[in-house]
Amino acid sequence: MTIKLIRDHGQHYRPRMACLQKLEAMVLEMQSGVKSSEQKLNITSIPHVITGEDILAWIANHMKVDTQEARTMGTMLVAYGFIYPLQDHKRLILKPDGSLYRFQTPYFWPAQKWKVDDTDYAIYLAKRNIRKKGSLDVYEQENYNKLHKWLNYKWDFIVMQAKEQYRAGKERNKADRVVFDCQERAFWIVHRPPPRTHSAMDYGVDRLIDPNVEEKKTFDYYKRIIIFTQQAIMRPKVKSTVSLGALVKFMTTYKGHDPFLAPCLPSNPWQTDDDTYWELNMRSVETPTKMRVERWSFSFFELLSDPRGRADFKVFLKKEFSGENLAFWEAAEEMKWGAASSINEQAQTIFKTFLAPGAPRWINIDGRTMGLTVKGLEHPHRYVLDAAQTHIFMLMKKDTFYRYLKSPVYKDMQKKSLSPAPHTFTDSQLEQNARNRKPGIDPIIIWQQEEEERAKAAAAAGPIDIKKLMASKLDRK
Amino acid sequence: MPLSNSKVADDGSSAQPQREGQAMVDSLTKVVACYRHLASCIGGSTDSTSLRQELRQTREHAQTLAVSCRNHLTARLRDKTLSEEDRKETELQWVAFSSCLELFHADMCKVYHMGSCFSVAKKSAMVQTGLQGGATEVAARALSMPNLQEQNGEQTASMEGLDQSQLEQEIAQVDRTLEDMEMKVNVLRWTVEAKGPQYADPVSVDSASLALLSGDEEGGFCDRSQMFVLLMLCGVALVAVVLSVCVVYLA
Repeated sequence: MTIKLIRDHGQHYRPRMACLQKLEAMVLEMQSGVKSSEQKLNITSIPHVITGEDILAWIANHMKVDTQEARTMGTMLVAYGFIYPLQDHKRLILKPDGSLYRFQTPYFWPAQKWKVDDTDYAIYLAKRNIRKKGSLDVYEQENYNKLHKWLNYKWDFIVMQAKEQYRAGKERNKADRVVFDCQERAFWIVHRPPPRTHSAMDYGVDRLIDPNVEEKKTFDYYKRIIIFTQQAIMRPKVKSTVSLGALVKFMTTYKGHDPFLAPCLPSNPWQTDDDTYWELNMRSVETPTKMRVERWSFSFFELLSDPRGRADFKVFLKKEFSGENLAFWEAAEEMKWGAASSINEQAQTIFKTFLAPGAPRWINIDGRTMGLTVKGLEHPHRYVLDAAQTHIFMLMKKDTFYRYLKSPVYKDMQKKSLSPAPHTFTDSQLEQNARNRKPGIDPIIIWQQEEEERAKAAAAAGPIDIKKLMASKLDRK
Repeated sequence: MPLSNSKVADDGSSAQPQREGQAMVDSLTKVVACYRHLASCIGGSTDSTSLRQELRQTREHAQTLAVSCRNHLTARLRDKTLSEEDRKETELQWVAFSSCLELFHADMCKVYHMGSCFSVAKKSAMVQTGLQGGATEVAARALSMPNLQEQNGEQTASMEGLDQSQLEQEIAQVDRTLEDMEMKVNVLRWTVEAKGPQYADPVSVDSASLALLSGDEEGGFCDRSQMFVLLMLCGVALVAVVLSVCVVYLA
């Protein structure tokens, strides 16, 4: 009793799984190729059993690949459920020794068209329970309880169907019953994997269009294709040498900073339960690490997006008396990301402080951008200052940034920065770390600290009135 | 009290169609379970013309059962004079019936797909699944006949094609039935509550296949020890018998 006619425009179709058909063809070819023997169980013997090494040899021979590749292919066959292991049935890998495997019946082959139903899983678990009470694993027990809650309206049917399937199975002879049980068990290990393993049939998100259905070539379809092709022609294209060169440059620059490729100094907190790394890299730390400082020199965007870097840059700009550019950029960011109710008021403040002729912190942008921005500020929205902000960003990047990198402020920072030694924890120390885990600083406290800092900065970096500054100097004289 | 009397009388007469409906749903469940067992043999080492014929017969039987069940249940649900309890029971039967039909539809689709991939003529292209015996007993159980008559005659390619097209039509018919059921009959599935227990009672402990399955993994080791214990017990019993005979002889 499932809802079949869902007419919302959501994603309900499984994606294409083209590998399944190819694997099916390969399995059918394997039938004559691989040597099969018999499995002896007590008094009965069950035919059509193959060994791992035979499968490996056949794949290597048939596809003309080396042993490592053949092993991966074989593991894929087992993981998808076309072949199932008889010993150690929960680990779906191909062992290249004499371990035994058998082919799965086509009814239980994985298919793209049909989604594996929870009702069937519930019936299977109920059947297992009927056969022997308490033979379900812990994760299966949990699943069973969950299904009992979700499929409660069908539960009588599920129990009845499980009993009937069990009774129908008793009609077959013993060897066939064992084979069928093995097949079903293997099927459900592929499609409802035990915990800490994954299923080869995991596919991510459902798709919007049914890939099995050919799209009808109507007038609308052709119109859409024409528009798409026209836009594709007009799109500016980058030469592959250029784009690949950019990719290579990015990779060589960031190679040492990638958390997957390079070890994180002093130690990865997730692995060793020691949070020195996080404490050294906090927002408002006194001395940043060498890696962090090096990262600021990669690009201006990196410098601005790191709060510690931005603070350092602000110190440099204060010395140069050109802090208005950064202040304008920050104000524009705040307007972009802030609340919609404050946009009008922020627009007014920004105009008075930065853009009006004779403003205390007047920014130097070209006439055209200034005209556009001022006109836009009559009806302010979130992105009115975008053009001006980009202009200022480019200005800072092309001019101030390089001066900053050559300045004594940055060089001092480089000298001061620490490079922590890597931790070498023994196992007992790791266990102690795990026991001494404490929660970190409450994010509310961090937010309060930031608010205080922001208030202080706003008070301190008010409009630098030249007159007042000269007056104070004159006073001293 | 005339009121309670009439109620008892009503219950007596309305229990009959209730039980009829339950019996129909039960038999449909049985047939669908057997169909699933038969369908799991397709394309394997025991696939043959007789299997396809058994599948066809089971399918036809299920179709007739489904039609009669649907008519009965729709008539019951449209009946406005049904009491609250009876309506709940009928709704439960309705849920069971539609779930049965869905399982049957899924199995039929799979059988259709596999039938087109695995033709009985090319026996060499079948997958060696390790099955040996046929599923004739299962089909017999489905059709409730003590033994199936052997239908001989080679199934030619044209007959197979006919079978496939018939299957296609029947799949379309069941599809339409399911759609009709969902649109036209107003059974709110969130109000239906199951009455049975969460765990089905073990029907009978099937120790034989259990031993085989566990022996599957651990090898013959456990069974060898069991055999040894059995032998020991037999030996002890023999010794006891011999001793008692001696005692009787001497005494």
